[in-house]
Amino acid sequence: MNILLVEDDKQVAEFIVNELTAAGHNCSHAPDGVEGRAAAASGTYDVMVVDRMMPKMDGITLINTLRTDGDTTPALMLSALGDVDDRVQGLHGGADDYLVKPFAMAELLARLDVLVRRVVPEAELQTVLEVEGLSMDLLRQHVQRETVTITLQPREYKLLEYLMRHAGQVVTRAMLLEHVWGYHFDPQTNVIDVHVSRLRQKIDKDFEFPLLNTVRGAGYRLGPQLDT
Amino acid sequence: MQVKDVVNSLTFRYIVKYVTVLSATVFMLVVALYIYFSYSSFRELGESVLDELETLQLVYSGQQMPGVQQYIDDQLSSPSVNRFYYLIMDSEGVKVLGDLPQSPRYREFDDGWLGFEMALQNWGESVDVEFLAHPLGLGDGYSAIVARGYDDIVEQGKLVFRTLILVMSVMLLLGISGGFFSAARALDRVELLNRDISRIVRGGPERRLQVEGEKGYVRALAEVMNQMLEQTESLMQGVRRVSDNIAHDLRTPLTRMRNNLSQLEGRLDGQDAIQLDGIIEECDDLLSSFNALLRISALESGSRLVDGSSVELRALLRDVVELYEPLALERDIDLTLDAPQSGFCKGEADLLVQMFANVLDNAIKYTPSGGDIRVQLRVGTGGSAGHGVVISDSGPGIPLVERKNVFRRFYRVESSRTELPGHGLGLSLVQAIAQYHFGSVELGSANPGLQVRIKLPAVAG
Repeated sequence: MNILLVEDDKQVAEFIVNELTAAGHNCSHAPDGVEGRAAAASGTYDVMVVDRMMPKMDGITLINTLRTDGDTTPALMLSALGDVDDRVQGLHGGADDYLVKPFAMAELLARLDVLVRRVVPEAELQTVLEVEGLSMDLLRQHVQRETVTITLQPREYKLLEYLMRHAGQVVTRAMLLEHVWGYHFDPQTNVIDVHVSRLRQKIDKDFEFPLLNTVRGAGYRLGPQLDT
Repeated sequence: MQVKDVVNSLTFRYIVKYVTVLSATVFMLVVALYIYFSYSSFRELGESVLDELETLQLVYSGQQMPGVQQYIDDQLSSPSVNRFYYLIMDSEGVKVLGDLPQSPRYREFDDGWLGFEMALQNWGESVDVEFLAHPLGLGDGYSAIVARGYDDIVEQGKLVFRTLILVMSVMLLLGISGGFFSAARALDRVELLNRDISRIVRGGPERRLQVEGEKGYVRALAEVMNQMLEQTESLMQGVRRVSDNIAHDLRTPLTRMRNNLSQLEGRLDGQDAIQLDGIIEECDDLLSSFNALLRISALESGSRLVDGSSVELRALLRDVVELYEPLALERDIDLTLDAPQSGFCKGEADLLVQMFANVLDNAIKYTPSGGDIRVQLRVGTGGSAGHGVVISDSGPGIPLVERKNVFRRFYRVESSRTELPGHGLGLSLVQAIAQYHFGSVELGSANPGLQVRIKLPAVAG
């Protein structure tokens, strides 16, 4: 995918560009908000990564300006851990996602992937989600794999729905916490893992191949296991 | 302020001591004066008696008894307030001349001095008067006794003594009441100072004592205390800054390392990958405690919550309990939520979740399998009666002496240091979040487990 990185810190920018390129993406870099705006206007990007604190024009202003200009390219805001309500402000400021520096590259990649693929309007309107024989009827709240009906607790249902909506994509634990539970915090233990493994028990046990796979060092992916 | 407080105050006790010592000194001085005065008065009296005897002897040796008779008559007829009294006796001890009775009851003193008491007519009244007398042989078997009253000396002495007692009583009274009032005043200011200092101890060293309007030693004290607070604050900031800087500076290289490791992991498989997974997990652990440390600093150093949104605690606790339920189940721990009512407070939901999650996380970590954990929400009505969230477990609890310490960063109870993972930041963060929300957290015993009591101010839904 085409990524625009707007970041004033040269070292950080270089590192991110290298990592994104290594992961197979095209990445352009703009060193401040003003150039970032120009770059966003001239090129077509799938997603923007914008640093919050920059000279000339800060990240929130940049995203606001772009939104006013009619640019709906999804944007992820980067920030150094600072004030307590930074994240809320950032998200209110028009960013689609928010990540605190320093972050694991896997986290950034997973989030960018989700941001880019999120912009499919019809996906929002689907009433039945289907992944490799696993289907979820959103109206009847009914889940089955092959011909077997699977009974889920409400939270397991939400968890599975999120995973199915992002089938084939890597979803990190932090993303699950944010979107399934609606909270952004740092659990000390592997609470999410326990939930996922309970869900896995229900949808994968007694079936031919597992659908819910662990991606080491990153998170989970719903879909057939990839050969790596 | 209590009278007892004033009486026990240092100022009052100091002033009382001072007044007492001063009075005692004055007392001793006046007693010395009194003794000196009496002594010289008596000596003068004695000398005058001896002189008079000498005169009598001279008269006798010159003019014999008729001369003495003449002299005494002269003396007796001249009106004098404090005159001599005479007694002349022959060799038989029979009174010959004089106005003293023949044999009053003498008390004998040293050197032949005699004392007696005699009733005198004074303005028609009979008054007992003390006399000092001395005998002397005149020759030819005659002897004389001359006496003189010393009541006036005694009277003067009594007067001096009474004045002295009066002066001392007034001095003590004035001193002690003055002492009481100045102590009360000093105590008033000290109490104000005390209240201010307690406020600072509770609120943190960034506050200062009021210096304006104070005078004298209170002002000096306040200024010195402020300087001390400044030093304390800058030292604390220094320590905090150092640890924050370490955490901050180590985060970036650690993240880079973690990223490189996870790239490497993609190229490995089997046992190597699993081993590397462990290393990555450790990196994440470290990063997470650095983040917690920085978060605590941000919460503590920054101002408190300004305009949080309204958060419903029952729903929030349900979410947290639901999130941790599978983990508890996995360890065969019974996790229950008891929240009969909903209650609102102002806050950041993410932070509050983090706070409750940390407490639950600890509870699950320390509760043995088969135990139970109870989360209770007691809704307050607003105002001073805030909401209370009590999380009790059936683990080993925390000994009383350790309960204050566990809120310190990186502090871990000795027994858990080696047995369980963690960095000793969980409860520090809990406290920082509670205080950020104008709330508080305290630890108690759930007999035998730990009970964490969190208080948050209530607002109307």
